[in-house]
Amino acid sequence: MARIVGGFVAPHNPVMYFNPQGATQEQSDACYGAYAAMADRIKELEADAAIVIGCDHYILFGTECLPPYVISTGEIEGPVDQLPGLKRKPLLSHGALGAHIAAEGSRTGFDWTVGRALNVDHSVAVPHHLMLEPTGKDIPIVAVMLACGVDPYLPMARAWALGEHIADAVASFPSDERIVVIGSGGISHHVGDERMGEVNPAFDQKVLDIVTRGDKDAMLALTDEEILRDGGNGAMEIRTFACAMAATRAAGGRVIGYEPVEGWVTGMGFAELEVAA
Amino acid sequence: MSRNTLEKVLYDLSTSGANKKKFAEDPDKFLSRYQLSDDERALIRDYKVRDLADLGVNTMLTWGFWLQAGKSNRDYLKIMKREEA
Repeated sequence: MARIVGGFVAPHNPVMYFNPQGATQEQSDACYGAYAAMADRIKELEADAAIVIGCDHYILFGTECLPPYVISTGEIEGPVDQLPGLKRKPLLSHGALGAHIAAEGSRTGFDWTVGRALNVDHSVAVPHHLMLEPTGKDIPIVAVMLACGVDPYLPMARAWALGEHIADAVASFPSDERIVVIGSGGISHHVGDERMGEVNPAFDQKVLDIVTRGDKDAMLALTDEEILRDGGNGAMEIRTFACAMAATRAAGGRVIGYEPVEGWVTGMGFAELEVAA
Repeated sequence: MSRNTLEKVLYDLSTSGANKKKFAEDPDKFLSRYQLSDDERALIRDYKVRDLADLGVNTMLTWGFWLQAGKSNRDYLKIMKREEA
């Protein structure tokens, strides 16, 4: 059966692309170095496929229909929000794995919205660009989109449960493939509101500590009010971290890098997740 | 006031080049497609992003709406902070 052999959490900051000068050279080097280090680890882990857990930014799904969680079961294309140096294109998809997870979900209480020809935004395309493409292997992906940017937000506990369900489903997928999971999101950042540009290193450190301790209780204890107050509306994306933690059975991990980059309006946190035996 | 339809308009403008073009050519004609009051139409036509946000419109949309018109990020932040742009 397939198995999850590694996990990561990383930002998907579009400002890096359209305003690279917003960071100092040292900050930029540290962030791109962290992405490169994670790509190296994915290569060392001999990953055959990746499950990239992102979130819509009110770009993919409109007021007509706002799904709580979506999974790709066929072709994938993106990012729909093209960036300098990151143009829209087909992304190699592992449709069979996505379809298997969706089917297992239907059987066990997770009614996935499926994307049979799914468009993704930068939350999937940036980690694909900076963590998967540099491995030199054309690693197929399953794209998962959680409701993190638009209310009603997916509850943190549901994001956690979804990660556990993904782990169970991967373990019953009939292949010997090695899978890595990527939780894609920034920590503190404010998108479009009057606090845009504020970064909160104390909150960022708290989140990274929770992630690297594999502390489920502490993660679920983060209320939306606390996240919005201390981390901003963009920090609601740490639901993707919760989902990735649960998918790796919350075995802890290590920080690969952290930079509070006000010019990129984001606390940029990078960590590798251990996988429980 | 309907936050939902306001968000629908901004979403439609942020995701469709054809809609952006129609809005730029004739904002009132474009906005007549939507279930909006006169006051709501004016908020969008006049790029009142602070007022839209105060009505609960998602700020990812207000920010994107502002930028798609070629307006500056600096002015956006001034308006959102209730400073004069």
